[in-house]
Amino acid sequence: MTGVCIAGIGLISPVACGVPETEAALKQGKKGIGPLTLFPVSRDNALPVGEVRIPVSDPKLPRTHTLALMAAREAMGDAPSPPDAIVLGGTTGGMLETEECFRSDRPGRSRFRYHAPSSVAEYLATELGCSGPVITVSTACSSGAVAIKIALEMLRADQARRILVGGADGLCRLTYYGFRSLQLLDPAGARPLDARRRGMTLSEGAGMLLLEAGEGGPERDLCEVLGAGLSCDAYHPSSPDPRGTGALTAMRLALQDAGIAPSEIDYVNVHGTGTVDNDLSEARALTALFGENMPPLSSIKGALGHSLAAAGAIEAGVAALAIQNDLIPGTMGCDHPDPQLRLRPAMKPAQAHMDTVLSNAFGFGGNNASVVIGRSRGPGSARRPETAPHVTVVGSACMTGAGDMPGTLQAVRKTGECKGVFPETEFSAILPARTIRRFKRLPRMALSLAIAAHQDAGMAEGPAAVFFGTGWGPLSETYEFLTRVQSAEEAFSSPTGFVGSVHNAPAGHIAAHFRAMGPNITVTGGDYSFEQSLMAAGLLMKEADVPALVMGADEFHQTLSRRFDPSVAHGLSPADGGGGLCVVRTRRPSGPRIGALFLENPQQNPAVISSLIHRLGGRERINRTYGAILAGIPGAHEGPGQEQLKAFCSDAGFTGPAIHYRRFMGEFASASAAAAALGVVFTRNGNIPAGFVGKADYRLGGKGILLMGLGPCITAVEILPGG
Amino acid sequence: MEKLMDELREKIIETLNLEDIRPEDIGEKDRLVGGDLGLDSIDVLELAMMIERDYGIRIDNKELGAKVFASLGALAEYVSENSVGGYG
Repeated sequence: MTGVCIAGIGLISPVACGVPETEAALKQGKKGIGPLTLFPVSRDNALPVGEVRIPVSDPKLPRTHTLALMAAREAMGDAPSPPDAIVLGGTTGGMLETEECFRSDRPGRSRFRYHAPSSVAEYLATELGCSGPVITVSTACSSGAVAIKIALEMLRADQARRILVGGADGLCRLTYYGFRSLQLLDPAGARPLDARRRGMTLSEGAGMLLLEAGEGGPERDLCEVLGAGLSCDAYHPSSPDPRGTGALTAMRLALQDAGIAPSEIDYVNVHGTGTVDNDLSEARALTALFGENMPPLSSIKGALGHSLAAAGAIEAGVAALAIQNDLIPGTMGCDHPDPQLRLRPAMKPAQAHMDTVLSNAFGFGGNNASVVIGRSRGPGSARRPETAPHVTVVGSACMTGAGDMPGTLQAVRKTGECKGVFPETEFSAILPARTIRRFKRLPRMALSLAIAAHQDAGMAEGPAAVFFGTGWGPLSETYEFLTRVQSAEEAFSSPTGFVGSVHNAPAGHIAAHFRAMGPNITVTGGDYSFEQSLMAAGLLMKEADVPALVMGADEFHQTLSRRFDPSVAHGLSPADGGGGLCVVRTRRPSGPRIGALFLENPQQNPAVISSLIHRLGGRERINRTYGAILAGIPGAHEGPGQEQLKAFCSDAGFTGPAIHYRRFMGEFASASAAAAALGVVFTRNGNIPAGFVGKADYRLGGKGILLMGLGPCITAVEILPGG
Repeated sequence: MEKLMDELREKIIETLNLEDIRPEDIGEKDRLVGGDLGLDSIDVLELAMMIERDYGIRIDNKELGAKVFASLGALAEYVSENSVGGYG
């Protein structure tokens, strides 16, 4: 199979802004590490970082957004039209600005509009005029590389022709003090693969690739993404599996996906953060994969630092530059390679011809991704015959104010009313006590949903993959850190709190609980996060009967929920919850099937409703297939959401019930996940209970349910009865 | 030293949210990490942060951490030797 073409590259890092400058910096072995100037730190706490010197910036725009736009503009170059989709890795979003708000104690809600990691990709979509899917991957330090895998599969599945993919993260106190509390920052600056290494150097940046699934031959000297592989260590929240098993699996899967043998790899751009544990486990994985035939390898993190979600994307771009320039970048900072690693890293930049490069990105939660970049091999198509995005649901669980699935169904049968905040003590009962002593609300909710969904499936085999969507991530952990910032005590940040504050922490705990070593994906996109996770599952699940979990959850937090989420501020009473589905991809569906079919942005897209109707197969199919609509209209977008629903029903000639489920469930970003879990049960039972539809149950008459998301994004998920 | 050890027992349980452990369960010579308490590397860092905040003593490398957090007794001894206030 041929890869997808890299039609444009944008690179912003502490060594250079732009591709030509980056090439020069890599050739010279330039380092971009220096003292921190972005925010004040006491002399005791001063550690070197990699800051980007931004030439001009809009003061109203957070740093991460600025970095992302710079890289995106460069990658887009003179492209004649906006990309069909944007897939972006991100962990910090507007965190630095949120910290400033807390520090200055001026926490007005409008100041948090750029808080979410997903706001970066949404901002790019607005700036570039992209009306298609916008997906934000938040799998810590592997985010940028995981985003590339998702984009690659979207192109292969013909869901888009051109995708802007990448990662962006700006420096902030959360990550600086967080990694400091984990003692993972080298006071001397990162010395990857060196015998004296003591940690990484935190940095910032953005890397973007414009990927095209064109069939045309390469007129320019282009590279391709040949393949990518994902895995999860399922080992520990912040330490890699010392045996390197997960890293080895990701690399093997990437090579398999690219259809090449280890001997065809000409250079490895290692993750090589400079932490004692990462470099050791990665070295073991490399040795297991390549044995005696180790290709040249190096880490660029001694020069660029570790820019978290941006790193995987920047390094995929650097892999392409390495091929185009016959250049092996040097492992700056490494003077005495660690004999224990048994590697011979290229210490200085070197010239070598190469066709194929492997680039690694690993992250918290044991989240591993490897990407293979190669010299373009000429015309050919990466597209596969379209595989339906559906998966078969074998178990479902939900959580609302009325409790778990049985409690919620009981409420739905009566008045429908199920909004509220389910007490933690009640749903923590099924969780292993020792495991959850470090968990606050969201990870408890998520693990409880995962266990319940898997139990409902009644399968002995545990899930191998986890797809988790969350609008706002672990808010209790985030708040704990922000209160320290408020009282200027950030230097005493809790390492547990930091590790728990990352969006992918809950999915990591789920993986560790089930030993789920397949893809572990956390996506975030406000009220449409669950839809993104279902979309990712549809793209990444292989045809096999091995179960996976597709989930969404959000916690209500007394202080932060109202500040961050405009719909929560709009809601009258606190509410939270989520849903979990245990799914398989099988040729013999025996239960309801669910699939995310549509995700578009209506702002720059006047034809969005007709495009949706077309995607769902037209008026006739819509009326034949769906008995009811579960409509997700976030409170802050009530007016436009109602209009969109009305337009859809009218244009599609749909006359069945459309249930505005947030009126029953309350306002929380993952309400659609709870609605999906309920929708599966309704479809299986063939009716919708009275509380949701009026005086009596509504018979679906053998039809399925359309789960719609409305507002600033329009999404469609279909739930079809089993065969 | 006994007084300091009792204080540390309380702080360890509180810092690490060890709901099912009573102070007297932590013996002077018991292994803190990898023993019955089930503590791991993040717990050690959490305790290091607590020691820095409450006693002004920084334990910022793995080798020192392994020595200091070997047992409650070792921790008490290190705190007592290095704190300005003076214990024990």
